[in-house]
Amino acid sequence: MTATAGTVAPTHHGKAGFRHAFAAEWTKLRSVRSTWICIAIIVVASLGLSALVTNLEAGRWTTLSLGERARFDPVRFSQSGVFISQFVVGVLGAMVVTAEYSTGLIRTTLTAVPHRFNVLIAKKAVLAMLLLVVGEISAFASFFLGQAILLGHGGKALSTNASIISQVTAHNIPVVSITSPGVLRAVVLSGLYLVILSVLALGIGFIVRSTAGAISLFVGVLLVIPLIINILPSSISNSIEPYLPSNLGLAMVVTTTRQTDFAGTLLGPWWAFLTLVIYAIVVVGIGAWLFQKRDA
Amino acid sequence: MISVTGLSKSYGKTKAVDDLSFDVETGVITGFLGPNGSGKSTTMRMIMGLDRPNKGTATINGQPFHDLRWPLREVGVLLEAKAIHPGRSARNHLTSLAQTNAIPKHRVEEVLDLVGLSQVASRKAGKFSLGMSQRLGIASALLGDPGVLLFDEPINGLDPEGIRWVRELLQSLAKEGRTIFVSSHLMSEMALTASDLIVIGRGRLIADTTVTDFIASNTEATVLVRSPQIAELSGVLTGLGATVSGQSDQSILVTKVDASQVGDAALQAGIAIHELSPQHASLEEVFMELTSDSVDYHGHIGEEGSPS
Repeated sequence: MTATAGTVAPTHHGKAGFRHAFAAEWTKLRSVRSTWICIAIIVVASLGLSALVTNLEAGRWTTLSLGERARFDPVRFSQSGVFISQFVVGVLGAMVVTAEYSTGLIRTTLTAVPHRFNVLIAKKAVLAMLLLVVGEISAFASFFLGQAILLGHGGKALSTNASIISQVTAHNIPVVSITSPGVLRAVVLSGLYLVILSVLALGIGFIVRSTAGAISLFVGVLLVIPLIINILPSSISNSIEPYLPSNLGLAMVVTTTRQTDFAGTLLGPWWAFLTLVIYAIVVVGIGAWLFQKRDA
Repeated sequence: MISVTGLSKSYGKTKAVDDLSFDVETGVITGFLGPNGSGKSTTMRMIMGLDRPNKGTATINGQPFHDLRWPLREVGVLLEAKAIHPGRSARNHLTSLAQTNAIPKHRVEEVLDLVGLSQVASRKAGKFSLGMSQRLGIASALLGDPGVLLFDEPINGLDPEGIRWVRELLQSLAKEGRTIFVSSHLMSEMALTASDLIVIGRGRLIADTTVTDFIASNTEATVLVRSPQIAELSGVLTGLGATVSGQSDQSILVTKVDASQVGDAALQAGIAIHELSPQHASLEEVFMELTSDSVDYHGHIGEEGSPS
């Protein structure tokens, strides 16, 4: 038995810090197949649902009433994939944490990086950066695909300052450009919605620590809570509904000129964005506190 | 060097580790011995900063683990062999660990080669046998070429060839002047591998000694005596200051006197002896004897009800 003594150059300066933890977490995230499966699902769901929903909605245009035409939102239809992607990023965000707990890998991780806050922030940063790239590329690609499909159905580009009235009275399906009011914001926030939800799921992962528990809780927040709120008396449910994560997501993607359709039921897009960010900060904060406090 | 001072840890009302103090010296293999559930793993996790002690401190090279600037370069640890993401390759697993402490990439290939996993380094670690997983765990412990190494039950699940490999590896690591702290619930294994010994039971320190002293001071000469007049002989031997424990109505176990004294006393008393044989307590028995009071979970065979 020889050569146990290795060639690790002695390092007397510096210390293991965030930079190193970040590099390690990126290696971990990219080296499991589930990450790439999740990304593939996000891309396919975004483009696929964009194509499907815009096609269906465009096909109904001639049968729509004036009121329904006023609610015709070429941007939101193109971002329909978010409904599926939000669960995929939830699973990915939770698994980044819970897969380490289920295998015991978390203890190996912490013997290499004793500063737990660095581990948490590195995981969060790596996940958020990957999903920012994937989320925005999907959002923009879906938008342009959606508008191309509407054009194919005989849609006509609205002028950038077109009013709702002009949309309703026009015979043609409205097609918007990325420079139309609120459109760029809606597409960008559509991608960011996924980023924030993944971070929220990561926070839940640190709180719950089991994969099944974390994913159940995440799905519960997105799907089950709205159902419960719905059966409450409307005086109560009306005041809660705008703050549900799923409705915050909707508020972020709806185009500004069409906000009136949801008056009272949705927050403004930036307020919705801010509220969702606060949710994520609170959940990750609780997760970080428990992570510091508990035995690994 | 590892120093543990007054370390205590409770889970609810159960004291897992109770006021434990010891030092682990450099350049030798120190065995950490105790029955299953005696607090060995909990102690190791506290040394590594994973579990927080209720009281006491643990330091590595004079510093709490949390304060080490490059932890992997100072301490290597094998806690659980299967603590790997099943879908990640051995190489990627080690690469991510190396990155946390700015360990150069070629060191990953070095340790893979050292533990004999180079050929399967690109395969998913989830497909590894327990023995291969142990080797991967040892590779990650050696990654930073650390001066202090902790191994929790490193031979679990290894075949005889693997066990020999671990023994030789530990010995060569100790010869290089490293601090080696290795836990086991098998006394026989420790007798072969370790030179220093820390024995615990129910979280308390039972012995802090060397393997040689441990055996010498804990093996008492015992003589098995068989005689048709066992009751009378017992009385005679007790008169000589011997301790007698009944085995059956035909035989007894005698301590504190040796076989020749028993024979002489029997002759003088005119008692026939059918067997007179010195007993050698095995290390395993010594260990069992010493820790029998401190084993939490005894099996009950043949008792009423279902076995617990």
